[in-house]
Amino acid sequence: MIVAEQKPLAEIKAMLAGYQKVLVVGCGTCVTVCFAGGEKEVGILASALRMATRLDGNGIDLDETTVQRQCEWEYIDPLADRLEDYDALLSLGCGVGVQTLAERFPSKRVLPGLNTSFMGLPTEQGVWEERCQACGNCILDMTGGICPIARCSKQLLNGPCGGSQNGECEINPEIPCAWQLIWERMSALGLLEQLMEVQPPKDWSTSRDGGPRRIIRDDLRLPEDYRDT
Amino acid sequence: MAKEESSKETHWEPQIVAFCCRHCAYAAADLAGGLRLAYPPSVKVFELPCTGRLDVLHVLRTFEDGADGVMVAG
Repeated sequence: MIVAEQKPLAEIKAMLAGYQKVLVVGCGTCVTVCFAGGEKEVGILASALRMATRLDGNGIDLDETTVQRQCEWEYIDPLADRLEDYDALLSLGCGVGVQTLAERFPSKRVLPGLNTSFMGLPTEQGVWEERCQACGNCILDMTGGICPIARCSKQLLNGPCGGSQNGECEINPEIPCAWQLIWERMSALGLLEQLMEVQPPKDWSTSRDGGPRRIIRDDLRLPEDYRDT
Repeated sequence: MAKEESSKETHWEPQIVAFCCRHCAYAAADLAGGLRLAYPPSVKVFELPCTGRLDVLHVLRTFEDGADGVMVAG
């Protein structure tokens, strides 16, 4: 899932300065399950902002709504009829959600209420950890299902660096050394030999280094005359 | 009038909303009523089936609607 965190209240309040009527838009997908921007968080933030701005003497009128998925046109299109009254939208979606709203409703000011952090999973209740960096060329088959791109601080491809101490990363002792984990997993699977194969420098053109990415599936695309965007 | 206002200010009492579990605290408040024991009118008792039902949104909305304090009893 995409994991995000709410921005500090003061930062959100500063962003909303000058707006009188704001719609807080939550998202029912990733940010709901990481407790950052779902219906509940929308309610809490809107309530906190109503009180905070009232105390400042410039109470903002905030309404609340949550769409099932902020990153798809069909889920946000029904908002169109409601937007006339609002000066701004405060999105509690991830960065994709914010941009989807801004792209669909270009005449509206769309502001981000969250900081989008990473793609990861909850490893225990209240703890989320990064697992994928969307490099566009998955090598998990070679590393026992543990990603050295997302989990090694140096993104090394051929084993640990000298900073790996007792299974911990030198960056932070709370971060396990990804290559230690890989070695242990491959060892348990009896596949250590596979790690002897030297990996050449990674081709990063499929990652962010190749610029913004796009996938086109002609088998799924509608014929040109039927496309609406 | 001015005197009254200033006396009101001096005697300002916080408005408290008490969220009470029906099985203990609310029953206790009921019993207090039965015994004719008085408690300040600034305390508003709100019955919950269980204080586990209380949500952060209930507390926030209570403050938004003008309460000065919230008491949770259960």
